[in-house]
Amino acid sequence: MRYEYTVETEDLAKYYTMGPAIIKALDGINLKIKRGEYVSVMGPSGSGKTTLFNMIGGLDRPTRGRVFIDEVDIAKLDAYELAWLRCRKIGYIFQTFNLIPVLTALENVMLPMIFAGVPREQRLKKATELLERVGLGDRLHHKPGELSGGQQQRVAIARALANDPAIVLADEPTANLDMKTGLDIINLLRQLNREKGVTVITATHDLKMIDVSDRIVYLRDGKIERIETRHEIAIEAEEEF
Amino acid sequence: MSGTSGAIEIGKITLPFSEAIRIALEDIRHRLVRTAITIASVVLAVGFMDALLALAALFHGEGITTFQLWLLFISLLVCIVGIMNSMLISVAERTREIGTWKCLGALDKHVLELFLIEAFLIGVLGGIIGWFIGVGASFAYGFIYKEKLGSIKAVLEALKAPGLPLPGLAGLPSIASLLVASLGLAVVLSLVATIYPAYRAAKLDPAEALRYEV
Repeated sequence: MRYEYTVETEDLAKYYTMGPAIIKALDGINLKIKRGEYVSVMGPSGSGKTTLFNMIGGLDRPTRGRVFIDEVDIAKLDAYELAWLRCRKIGYIFQTFNLIPVLTALENVMLPMIFAGVPREQRLKKATELLERVGLGDRLHHKPGELSGGQQQRVAIARALANDPAIVLADEPTANLDMKTGLDIINLLRQLNREKGVTVITATHDLKMIDVSDRIVYLRDGKIERIETRHEIAIEAEEEF
Repeated sequence: MSGTSGAIEIGKITLPFSEAIRIALEDIRHRLVRTAITIASVVLAVGFMDALLALAALFHGEGITTFQLWLLFISLLVCIVGIMNSMLISVAERTREIGTWKCLGALDKHVLELFLIEAFLIGVLGGIIGWFIGVGASFAYGFIYKEKLGSIKAVLEALKAPGLPLPGLAGLPSIASLLVASLGLAVVLSLVATIYPAYRAAKLDPAEALRYEV
């Protein structure tokens, strides 16, 4: 594809002032993520995972440094362009699912397409296809209140893919799910990553994510501690036996 | 994507009005009890006004005293405060939802629009119900205390009572013009009360909104 790196951060930093103290949530992150990669960002609480998520997702502005999405410096975008970016280029998945409670599964998945100006017939068709792909073809008209946690997360995944985004950003997608359901979700994300070539970036505590990731970025205290690739993990695992 | 490296072609973001109305209706349906209480606030204020004006129109010779006008004015203020409170609670409860909307592409103005449409619908419902109750109350008063509405004929006569001196409504019988006035007042009350909460909702920062715990 046209752009080699879907996401690139350059000396990314975010500082918060709490009275006299300065909290360095992120302190100089340099990351390059290729199109189609599956990257997990791991680290203890407070290491900056969520802040990084907010930066890449265009939800917050950095104190220092730049974020490039498809080689566009997102700090240069105004409110309208930022909204467009969030609508079309990025799909969001959250720990708390964050579906709109008054809308059905189908309507939830159609929502980003409404903003993108997709005509009704097309929206309906695409949303139905996506929900069937994630295994919820028989629950199109259920509201989130009528769905289990795992099912809600599947709807969220379908919704994230509605506008064929360049990136899917998942913030602790399995944290509110039991082990079995969490594994299903992780595998689903991996399959979709492979099928659609969409870049997936997850911030997570979940060690099960390691198996499916192309790279793992370990954060500590706002800095990158180390990056492991799947090749290296495989070798490590072999050496143990 | 455009031809030059590093440039994205930014397209449109729209929220078609029909969709916005549909969503506002769903929002109301989903929170029926809360909405009913907000509507009750409008109903009481509008009903009070309608009762006063209907009595004045139906039973000529009963003017509206200054005292009654003050009561009316205060009841309108109470109504506005009540609606504003209810809406602020609604915004607080839906903070995370609003953060999600912004992630899906909603602009500030879309969030504002959704809340104002809800306010409008609440106004319309409140206006109609308030009119019903207000006029009904004045009829009941006429029947019980003034013994003026004992027969069907008397009721029909009262319904055709001459219009109130409201601008532009002089041609209509007073009961009908009251409906128009009620709807107008109710919608204005509802919208005025909702402007501040809706503004707060529209200005929410998505990153903070998403982590909000009520």
